[in-house]
Amino acid sequence: MLTMLARILKVLNSEASPWQIGWAVALGLCAGLLPFGLLTVLILLIACLFTVNLSTFLLVWGFSKALLWLLAAPLEQLGWNIGQQDWLLSVLSHSETLQLLHLHHSLVLAAFLLSVLILFPVAWLTTRLVLKYRHVLMPHLNQWKVVQLLKASKLAQLYQKMN
Amino acid sequence: MIRKSGWLIFLSILGAIFLLVYVFAGTAIRFGMVYSLEKAAGAEVNIQRVSLGLFPLSLTISDLQITDAKAPEQNLVSFARANAELELWPALLGYYVISDVSVEQLAYGSERRRPGKVFRGELADTEDSGFDFASLFAIELPDADELLARANLTSVAKGEALQQLAQSEQQQVRQLRQQLPDSERLRELEQQIKALTDGDIRDAADLAAKTEQLRRLKAELEQDKAKVEQVKTALLQSREQLQSAVRDFQQATQADWQQVQSYANLADGGLAGISQLLLGDLWTERLQQLYTVYQLVAPYLPEGSRLEEQPEPRELPGRILPLKQQPYPNFWIKNASISLLIGGGNAELRIEDITAQHHIIDAATRFVLDVQQLPMLQQFRLDGNFAIFDQLQSEVNWQLQGLQLAERVFGEGSTRFGLEQALLNSRGGLSLSGTALSQQASVALQTPRFSSGDNRYVQQLTQLMNQQAEIPFQLRANGTVTRPNVRVSSPLDRIVADAVMGEAQARFAGFEQDLRSKFNAKLPDTAGDQQALLSLLDREQASTEQMSQQIETLLQAQLGDLRDRALDRIRGRIGG
Repeated sequence: MLTMLARILKVLNSEASPWQIGWAVALGLCAGLLPFGLLTVLILLIACLFTVNLSTFLLVWGFSKALLWLLAAPLEQLGWNIGQQDWLLSVLSHSETLQLLHLHHSLVLAAFLLSVLILFPVAWLTTRLVLKYRHVLMPHLNQWKVVQLLKASKLAQLYQKMN
Repeated sequence: MIRKSGWLIFLSILGAIFLLVYVFAGTAIRFGMVYSLEKAAGAEVNIQRVSLGLFPLSLTISDLQITDAKAPEQNLVSFARANAELELWPALLGYYVISDVSVEQLAYGSERRRPGKVFRGELADTEDSGFDFASLFAIELPDADELLARANLTSVAKGEALQQLAQSEQQQVRQLRQQLPDSERLRELEQQIKALTDGDIRDAADLAAKTEQLRRLKAELEQDKAKVEQVKTALLQSREQLQSAVRDFQQATQADWQQVQSYANLADGGLAGISQLLLGDLWTERLQQLYTVYQLVAPYLPEGSRLEEQPEPRELPGRILPLKQQPYPNFWIKNASISLLIGGGNAELRIEDITAQHHIIDAATRFVLDVQQLPMLQQFRLDGNFAIFDQLQSEVNWQLQGLQLAERVFGEGSTRFGLEQALLNSRGGLSLSGTALSQQASVALQTPRFSSGDNRYVQQLTQLMNQQAEIPFQLRANGTVTRPNVRVSSPLDRIVADAVMGEAQARFAGFEQDLRSKFNAKLPDTAGDQQALLSLLDREQASTEQMSQQIETLLQAQLGDLRDRALDRIRGRIGG
């Protein structure tokens, strides 16, 4: 747990661009929300080809898998309801590519739509939060006595060790 | 922006995932299967190996044994090898299309190398054959009094009501009678009218006085006439009430008798057909096993054609949307072959196109089971098909030859009746459309040998049946799959009924006579009351009719005489 926290802090305080972290979180969240399949592999490919922060991506992917288990039932129902549209069924019937992406499966369809909806907002929001952390919160925190005490602790040693 | 080593990282991660799946999937599937099967069977499950193949994509299960929880030294089911080949492209699209499934040396009840562990206690066998020969041959006729007590006869109440009605109506008629003018009064009125009409009219004042007197007499007569009419109506109503009560009583008596007859089973001669008793329940049980199959396919049936509403299946992580043109069924096994080890020999089961979405492949699931040259069976062939379109449709045909029947005993003690040996041949067909079942089959017992207890009816039956070289049966069933109506008939029924049951029939006839006389004795004797009321009503109706006519005559006569004589007198005065 401490190692994981240290990892997060390391990323936040690293030289990685806020956008790289923001996109890593957004893509990781999408990969986690989708059941494993070709779409997940495609997201993984995007994460690998572009310079998004891979540690953050893998970490968020793992976390959001738990989110999928929680949201699976309502998402599946939502996908089934959306999937009753005639035009959508017609498009899915005639496209093997979409079927290859398993978009004719209710859960995948709903998870995909949700991922598309949240991808940009999450990327933007995370970027803003990282910027806020670095420019506003981090200098303040460093001045706190508690933080200074903590720096002398095991967590700080781990952090140093990783650096 | 672009990571130069991106492809390398991607392929490494993908490779790692693939390697992980390939190496550990077999073991994971094996553990998963063992866990699930042990949970279901309640006993130890052994799987030697589960392996994945890549070209073609396949899964192989080796040496599966499921311990029989009731007999741990035996397997419930076992097979040496099962293999399934999955088609890659449909699998990538999310459809499970299995080109070939083969199961080798599938066996039920095979011996285990070592006894398996049992996790759940075996259930007590509470199965009942549902057949009681003793009750048939003991021919203990029910007691007539007991039957009459059980019958809850409504005719007794109706009879008592009829008695009460007759008595109360008699009383009412007598009261009405008192309201009528008696003959003395009528005679008096007649004399008064006669005096008026026969007497001379002296002058106009006398005429007016007599006219007034006649008017009063007429008014009195009208009152009497109204009373008579009232009594006539009341008598008519009484008669109708009596007729209705008598009708109710007769209907109740008839219904009660039929009920008593049914309790005593007299309507059908007291004995059901012997072949129905022999095979009816047994066949019904077999047909009801179809319901188990029906329950398996019920979730795949279109709504509305299901026998009963099934709970909506929750299939996570997803259901396939109802596409306009689905390229493959969600699940489809193109070919399956199973080799079974049964009864010291082999059986081959071949099934084609196993799916629940037959409309997509436009074909039914077809199956053939071939069993030959077993120690206890010469030949058995079962072929048929089933498809789920708007509803479940299935056709099954079978041909069975030379099945050695195991010894079977019905009843116990003196009424024991046993089948020692026989060869069973059968040929038939069954069709299922939705929940409607239709089945016909011919079954023949060849060279049967029966044994019996000391009961002489059973002995006669056994002797007769042992003389038959072949006992043919015709089995027909129709109705719903849950409640099939099975009819078994055989020429044997008539023979048995005539030869063996003759004496029993005579006893039934005597019993019926006894029951009839006791039934009649139980009913209240309504005839006396009913007859008394009827004759009273007849008398009173005649009397009132006569009275009514008498009054009418009196009224008519006095008016005519007065008018004529007044006219004659006026004519005389004028000059005539």
